[in-house]
Amino acid sequence: MIHELSDWYPFRIFVSSANFAFRALFSWLRPEMWVTQLLALPLFQMAFFVYLARFVQPGGTSIAFVAVGNAMQVSAFASIFAICNLTSEEKWQGTLIPLISTPANRFPLFLGRSVYQIFNGMATIAVGFVYAKYVFGVDFSRADFLALALVILITSLTMTGFGLMLGSLGLFLRTAMIIANIFLFLGLLICGVNFPVSTLPTWVQPVSYAIPMTYGTTAARAAVQGANVVQLAPTLLGEIATGAGSIVAGYLLFIGFEALARRRGTLEEF
Amino acid sequence: MSLNVEKAIVVSDLCRAYHTSKGIIRKKREVVEAVKGISFEVEHGELFGLLGPNGAGKTTTIKMLTTLLTPTSGTARVLGYDIVKDVMNIRRRIGIIFGGERGLYYRVSGRQNLRYFADLYGVPMAIRDKRIDDLLDMVGLKERADLRVEGYSRGMKQRLHIAKGLVNDPTLIFMDEPTIGLDPEAARETRAMIRGLVDKGKTILLTTHYMFEADELCKRIAVISNGKIVALDSPSELKRFVKDITVVEIEAFGVSDKDLATLRLQAEVTAVNAELEGERQIVRIQTAKGSEFIPIATKILERAKVLDVRTKEPTLEDAYLKLVT
Amino acid sequence: MLNFFADPQWIIPNIIAPFIFTAVALMFYGNVSNSLALYAVIGGGMMGMWGSTLYGAGFALSSDRWNGTLEYVLGTPSRLIWIVAGRSFSAAVLGLVNALAILLIVVLGFGANLGIVNPLAFLLALVLTLVSLSALGVLLCSSFLLTRSAQVMTNGLEMPLYVASGSMFPIALLPFWSQGFSFILGPTWGIDAMRYAAYASYTGMAFGYWADILVLILSTLAYLAVGFWLFIVVERRVRRDATLVEI
Repeated sequence: MIHELSDWYPFRIFVSSANFAFRALFSWLRPEMWVTQLLALPLFQMAFFVYLARFVQPGGTSIAFVAVGNAMQVSAFASIFAICNLTSEEKWQGTLIPLISTPANRFPLFLGRSVYQIFNGMATIAVGFVYAKYVFGVDFSRADFLALALVILITSLTMTGFGLMLGSLGLFLRTAMIIANIFLFLGLLICGVNFPVSTLPTWVQPVSYAIPMTYGTTAARAAVQGANVVQLAPTLLGEIATGAGSIVAGYLLFIGFEALARRRGTLEEF
Repeated sequence: MSLNVEKAIVVSDLCRAYHTSKGIIRKKREVVEAVKGISFEVEHGELFGLLGPNGAGKTTTIKMLTTLLTPTSGTARVLGYDIVKDVMNIRRRIGIIFGGERGLYYRVSGRQNLRYFADLYGVPMAIRDKRIDDLLDMVGLKERADLRVEGYSRGMKQRLHIAKGLVNDPTLIFMDEPTIGLDPEAARETRAMIRGLVDKGKTILLTTHYMFEADELCKRIAVISNGKIVALDSPSELKRFVKDITVVEIEAFGVSDKDLATLRLQAEVTAVNAELEGERQIVRIQTAKGSEFIPIATKILERAKVLDVRTKEPTLEDAYLKLVT
Repeated sequence: MLNFFADPQWIIPNIIAPFIFTAVALMFYGNVSNSLALYAVIGGGMMGMWGSTLYGAGFALSSDRWNGTLEYVLGTPSRLIWIVAGRSFSAAVLGLVNALAILLIVVLGFGANLGIVNPLAFLLALVLTLVSLSALGVLLCSSFLLTRSAQVMTNGLEMPLYVASGSMFPIALLPFWSQGFSFILGPTWGIDAMRYAAYASYTGMAFGYWADILVLILSTLAYLAVGFWLFIVVERRVRRDATLVEI
């Protein structure tokens, strides 16, 4: 007997997927490993670029610039790499087809699976900021912590959306691994993490502004220097817009890919 | 709401062609017609079999009917819904059991797999856990339900596939080679389960390689060869195809391909099939001559070592061989 | 070794990071003078080699585990260590290719002219560094055998190594207490030696080129010794507990 689908159905898919992702992850991830990665990743990434900056002492950027920028960018491992792997992992396991065979809407499904990484991203950034202050000596005396917290939240959310889009793109092009790795590190170069976007060649700059992190680093630096939420609003709105844009693009990509694969008969290869 | 329809599946002139391109530098475009216009109907509550050699088009057909592939031309209605236009309605109502090593989440338990899919299908929360318990019981996975799937044996995984395919209580179930890779005991239990499902009123479309299985389970069988249906009938009717034929079965060592070719060329030999069973070969010769053919056969096979010669009644397998070769 | 080449796309993470890091360094430099470009290339190349060594050690091993062939490999009379050493070395050499690619990009992209003062010395230092890296790879490999998740480890280990080995900046900048760790890494000395060979007037670590070479050789031997001992421990443990049977 076929049952009616309740109105809460999309919400249920979301919660169930989030729950499922947690269980699957923690079935093999041991707490020590997670904590180690959480503490080690920001430290070494930030150390590399801060010491490099200290050595070279480039004009146009400062230690604080580099430290704050990298503190934000460390979330890329969670929001880009891990998220991008969501779809390709499904494919390798052979579970993508069973998922597609259900009537479940793909949007809450993949969003639910991403929830953990959103929190992971935020936690990593927070750790990064702690290092920024206590290890690399960035001055937080004038910082607006509320604004900073908001920036962290929005950046983690929007970058996850960006990651989801990359995941769809990777699935479609069958190059998820490569895309994930490129974008994982690309941010270091073009998102205003280590030096301002303005120092990049002009043809690269539009690409930078299509990535939410670019707005995130600008906003974070401003917040550390004392800007409050109102002052940051334009930048944050730009970030939200890019994030929303990428989620929509990602969703359309996925639906399009599904339809195309059905027509071409290549669903098994995905 | 389901449409009240007469037939569970109606397939009308379904075609599917694949476009492939070979080579890197000079692309050669090829069109492979996997399914060349098949039509058939499946009744409610029927256990319908799809039989055919590899590459015949049965997997392509089943993929089209389960909405995983769109046809190049032709139409089909599953439970009254069009396979191209009403995809979501079909997906809600059917069960898909493709089996194999993939398609399950290894890092969580069997029960968690079922729970997740139950959620994705929107199975009402009030009955979800009870249904999962019943399914686990039915497939015999109750004790191991909470162990991780990565530790399951092949047979257990197959059983979990079956449970997963039934989690949304579908009226129509598609099964692709459900007993492949299972040991005889497990395969027997699976077949019993399948019969049980039909007894409960489910409709099942099944593909299989095992002739005896098709014979045992199916009410009707469609034999597909080269993208077309070459026969569609009940097993007993299909066997009539070969009613004038006796099978001479020879158990031997060292039968060469040349010997087989010579056998095939003999007058009144309809088909010759050779299989390896352990180290011995079993050569099945379909011939109208029956036991009169034995001396001819032994002469052709004189270089081989013949262990045993028997005559047998033709089975569905022989009918199938005759139809597809 | 064949396993490794069969899946080329998996090497990509370890190639991309060094490229991008080098690019960032070059952006920092602003106007790229020749000597700075060389510094960046040596550093970037080093990172590339580190990355692929780590990768080769960890992945080849964990893919063995997946395939269950590890048990068979352990059973062969030719000691596991030779097999691993072979893999490790080929991984390091692959890293050299990576380094060359970075070199090309820097020369073409940033138009720098790289002159090395003492090419032979440079080559010697390079080769010995490769050997040292492979030895380190062997050591890491054996320690990975003791844990269940080699691949996760390799993901985490590259960054600390890039920092500690002073690939892009002198280790003198690092906090005092961490320099000890830098010193036990053979490649740290290797990079220093290469810089000595490349620049006319370079003052790196206190003792000069030949001291660096000496430490390189000693450390390589040390790694191999420890690695060898660890393999014996692992083999013994495997025979006792059969722990490696499951993934």
